[in-house]
This record gives sequence, C-alpha cells and structure tokens, in this order.
Amino acid sequence: MNVPKRMKLFFLFTIVATLLLSACSSSDTNGEKAEDGKVKLRFATWDVGDDVELQQGLIDEFNAKNSDIEVVLEAYGGDYDTKITAGIGAKDAPDIMYMWNYPQYKDALEPLDSYIKDRGEEYKSNFYEALWNYNSVGEDIYGLPVGYTTHVVYYNKDLFDAAGLEYPQAGWTWEDLQAAAKKLTNKDKKITGFAFPGQPDPYDFEMYLWGNGASYVDNKGKLDGNLNSKKSIETFKMFQNMLEEGIAITTEGWGDTEMKSGKVGMFINGAWYLSAFTEAGINYGVVEIPAFGNNPSASIVSSSGIAMSKDSKYKEAAFKFMEFWTGEQANKARLSFELPVLKSVVESEKLQEDPIKKVFYNMLEQSEGYTPTSFVTEDWSKLSDDLSLVFEQIFNPSTRVDPKEALNSVAK
Amino acid sequence: MFTKKNKPKKFTLVRKRVPFLFILPWIIGFIVFTLGPLVFSLIMSLFDWPIAGEAKFIGFDNFKTMFTADPQFYDSLVITLKFALIFVPLNLLVALVLALLITQPIKGIKIFRTIFYLPAVVSGVAVSIIWGWMFNSEYGVLNYILSLLGIEGPDWLIDPKWAIITIVIASAWGVGTMMLIFYTDIKGIPYEMYEAASIDGAGPIRQFISITIPTITPTILFNVITSVIAALQQLTLVLLLTGGGPLKSTYFYGLFVYNNAFKHHELGYASANAWFMFIIILLLTMLIFKSSSAWVFYEAEVKKERKGRKRK
Repeated sequence: MNVPKRMKLFFLFTIVATLLLSACSSSDTNGEKAEDGKVKLRFATWDVGDDVELQQGLIDEFNAKNSDIEVVLEAYGGDYDTKITAGIGAKDAPDIMYMWNYPQYKDALEPLDSYIKDRGEEYKSNFYEALWNYNSVGEDIYGLPVGYTTHVVYYNKDLFDAAGLEYPQAGWTWEDLQAAAKKLTNKDKKITGFAFPGQPDPYDFEMYLWGNGASYVDNKGKLDGNLNSKKSIETFKMFQNMLEEGIAITTEGWGDTEMKSGKVGMFINGAWYLSAFTEAGINYGVVEIPAFGNNPSASIVSSSGIAMSKDSKYKEAAFKFMEFWTGEQANKARLSFELPVLKSVVESEKLQEDPIKKVFYNMLEQSEGYTPTSFVTEDWSKLSDDLSLVFEQIFNPSTRVDPKEALNSVAK
Repeated sequence: MFTKKNKPKKFTLVRKRVPFLFILPWIIGFIVFTLGPLVFSLIMSLFDWPIAGEAKFIGFDNFKTMFTADPQFYDSLVITLKFALIFVPLNLLVALVLALLITQPIKGIKIFRTIFYLPAVVSGVAVSIIWGWMFNSEYGVLNYILSLLGIEGPDWLIDPKWAIITIVIASAWGVGTMMLIFYTDIKGIPYEMYEAASIDGAGPIRQFISITIPTITPTILFNVITSVIAALQQLTLVLLLTGGGPLKSTYFYGLFVYNNAFKHHELGYASANAWFMFIIILLLTMLIFKSSSAWVFYEAEVKKERKGRKRK
C-alpha cells in the first residue's frame, strides 16, 4: 500500500511542478528594462542570411542614436509564422514583429491609428495608398508598410527571339499572352509557352478574378454569386483551356525552376526572383499582367509590414523604432532586396526610370482599391484550404473538373 | 535523539537518495520538456484555445467535433494507416536485405556500410527538398533515368495515385538506422551455429530461415514497433514535399494536427487530435507486443525452459 501512495504523491508533485513551471514561463518577460536603465525592445524578422546582417547594421545605427532604447533583433527565419504564433500563445511575443497576415493575428496587435495621426497627414500619404489596405483590418491600421511586391509576368527574351516574337508590352491582353504562348510552345524541344502552379495559392489567384471584374466574395464576405459568378468561372476556364491546348503547363513550385532551365517562356510571380535570375544568367524581362479586354489588370500585393504587440510595455518607444524602420533612410538602405514603399524614396532614387522596377510600381498603382478576401472573410484559413482543393481539381490532369461544377461545390 | 532505531533508516534513505541525485538533471529535463508539455496539452485538449484571445473550457467538444463533424480527420487517419501498411513491411524487408548484404565478406564493404547508413544522418528537411527535385515529373533526375531505359515515368508528385508511393520511397531512404540494428544482431549470431548447420547439409537459404530469422526475431519486434510509430508520425516529408497534395492524397495525420495548430490556430483541437493518435499508437504497440509471444523467440527463455524440464 505504501508504494502506490508514494507514486501518487510523485505524480501529484510532478503535475504541480509542471503547472508551476509553465505558469512561470508565460509570465511577462516583455519590456524588461536592461541593466543600464534602457528600454529593451525585441524585434522579430523573417529575413535570413545577408539580409539579417544588413538589418542588424541598421539597428545598431538606431541604438547608437537613441541612448534610452535598445532594440534586439531576433531572426526567426523560415518557420517565422510558427514561432510568432507560439510566442503570442505563450504571451511572450516580440514587441515589434514583421507581419503580413494581419487578419489572423489582429487580436494580438496594437492598433496604430492614433500614433499615425500624431505624425500628420503628410506622413501617412507618403506611403503608397494601396499598401494601407494590406496593413489594416476593417477600419483599423495594425502595421506600417516596410516593403512589398506586386506580381508581374516574367518572360524569357531568348525564347521570344528564337520564336521571332516581339516582347510583350504594357496593356497587352490575355489573348495576346495565349497567342504568344502558342508560338513559344515547341513539343520537340520540350518548351512550353506559359506556366502556373498546379496548386495555386488562393491568396495569389484572386488577382486574376479582379482583372476580370470578379472576386471570391462581395464586401459582406458572401461566396455564392461571386466565387461562382460567370466572370469568375470564365477566368478559371481560360486557365484550364490553356492546359488542354498544351500551350501552358502546371508546375510543382511557382514556375521559377522551369524558367531557370529555359523550358518555359512566361510565368507570373513577385519580385523574389530578380537577383536569382540575373545571377543565373537568364535573359529575362518583366511586363504587367495582361488584361481581360478593356478591364485593366490588377495584382495581389505580397506585403511586408511591421506591427506592434498589444502586450508591449513600451509602446511609444516601439513606435519610434517602427517609424525609423519605415523611414526614408532605412528604405534606401534596403534597396538591394526590397521595393521601397515611400513615394519620396521612389522619386529620389528614380525607380520609375528602372525598366524592371517601374513595372512593379505600375502594377501597384493599378491595383489600388482591391481588398483580398483574406481581409474580408471570417475564417480565411479554412476557406483557403477548401479553395486550394477545388483549384487543384480544376487543374490536376487526373481530374480536370469543370470549373463551374467545382466552384459551385464551395460556394453553395 | 540518535537512537539505534533511527540510524539504519537514515542510512538507507541516504543510500536511496544518491542515485536519484545522479539522475536528477534528467528528471528535471523530463518534467520540464516532456511531461510538462504532455500534461499541458492534455489540459488544452479540453479548451477552445486560440493563439490570441482567451481560452474557453469546452469539455470534450474537441473530441466530439473530431469524431462527428470533421471528415478530414477520418481521411487523414485512413491515409496514414494505408501508408504504414505499405511502409512498415517494405522498410523491414529493405533493411534486412541490406543488413545481410553488408555482412558478406566482400572487399570494400566498409564503404558500402557507410553509404547505406549516411542517409540516416542527413537532416530530414534537406532530404525532402532534394527528393522534391528528383521527383519533378518534367525535369527530375528520376524520370530522366527512366526515360533512358525507355520508360515514361509517372507524374510522381502530381498524380494522386503515385503521391503516396512517392512518400513511401522517400521515407524508405532513411532505412540506415534499422539496417544497422539488424546488422549488429546478425553479426552477433555465433558462427558455430552456421558451421554445424552446414555440416548437417543445410544450404544458405535453409540456414537463413532456420538460424538467422529465429535468432533476430526480438530485433524484428523492436524494428516493427519503432517503424510503426515513425510511420504514424510522419510529418517532415509531407510538409515539405507535397504539402498534403495532390488533391489531399498525402494529407497525413501528422500534417492534419500540424495544420490545425499552426495554420488554423486551433491549439485545443490539435491537442485532442494528437492525444487520439497517442492512444492509437499505444493500442497498436500493445497489440504487437501481445502477438510477439507467438513469433518472437528469446534465447534466455529457451534456456529457462530447458532448466525447468530438467527439474521435472
């Protein structure tokens, strides 16, 4: 009888101990003052490698200028969202963090409207208007834009030359793209005109619907009549037709691998590949996404902003740093890997004269006023999963479901 | 105070404490990093626990949702069990064959031993990424090699029929550890047994069936159990190689739990999922152990039996 009792005590002890320990770990370590009385701020970034070094350099500069604040950089790298999620869950979120998925995290973030108002209208209007949409949820702003990329068409100039085709120009249509893809496709050489992901990211894909005057939901978040509208079905049908005609292929990744190997004439994505393609010695060009008839094309914006944790103890200091991080000097310092978000920097650096970068800015101005469904609907992560599956059914060669039928299955 | 009664008691207590003191670091580590999270996740499974915002106690609702309202739960479970059913026997077979091969006295066998074991050391993430390139149906190495043989390779990662097989192949790549365990066991079989058998006229196949296999059954049991657990917990490959696709054909249970926790931010629900898998693994392991008395052969037991018989 003695032993089980002891075991019971042991278990009780361990359980109490664990609860105590887990309670300890979730107690606030935020906003701890450093030994020398400085305000200590934690700042989480998702960047990796050289970019982190560059960021650390900028932070050192900020710390040197502000004797009362010490910002500590935490580079989370690839698993950024998981780590931020865990941090927020444990009430141990960094004071300032890189952010893109505002709807998902908004309950843990500090609304910034009052801080921005304090800085004046001029401060706010120096940012590209389209970007505020991507850093707010509803009426509240939760982040400051740091960088962005719109999506554009990358094309292989060598393949265009070989096919005797002229390079595409801004204002072209999807019909033009299909005609070019047809001429580029060469079965013997295993070259295809156009490529897009076989499992398209629903967040990205919505821009094609926008271009055709449709979207997944209306402003009340209703799917039926929007996702399965005539225009929406038409858009999916067009992509499916390109596959069936053999002038396009679906890719397992984003299409960049196929582009690099010279087997694909065109694909659409953000600014992430510019330096990689240049390094790989690919003779490429970029152009705006084609339009549906007279309707101007639009692009989804992949944005990076920074947000403040609701639990941060030193919010004024945190905003001071955020202001620095999104300011002109920092924008300029990040030119090598990020598209600046400030109109004044774009002007002073003459980015509108850069034949490649200007395309991204044109696309940005064209895309003002669109709000992605992820910012409108209640449960985007679930809807995104459903859409993903349906898009796959439409594009996977083993199914190739009729878009109307497939989209109806989610919308109704 | 120091009566005779007290002294020996104190002495034994000290004697008992010292060993505990030595393993104390481990015990603390176990409580903080294993038992703590375990207990905590059990508590979480009874809550609606979003990342941000308040947790709400909901009793067994998470389990109810899982069994009655989430078709993905059943789909993932079936896919995972199917995978285990193909993966475990195949992996055992490959490991055993490799182990037999590297016991052969061939020149340069040490190099092969290293080559076969090497994949077990490489990080699962790196392996997944490399497999992704190899399996690419258009530009992958695998289909290129097949095309040299005049075979048109399948769309490994695009065709739902092939995707699960792709995962099996990629998982079987890490067979090195199991091979090594078999290898050490086979090496430990006394040479005299084979010698005696060959004098009696048993050929290599007979020797394998009558000596090698029965002697290594405890190791087979160990490998079956560990590989069943590994198969049911498979996550890295599906997370990085297929992301659950195509058409959710590789949406394994591990991915289901992971996505519920870190994509949909339903920590309570994911904890409930995880505990259900724990119970399944527990039951399966118990079942395999129970069955082992029928097919696992321990030398020590035989010796005891013999002694027993003598006494009779």
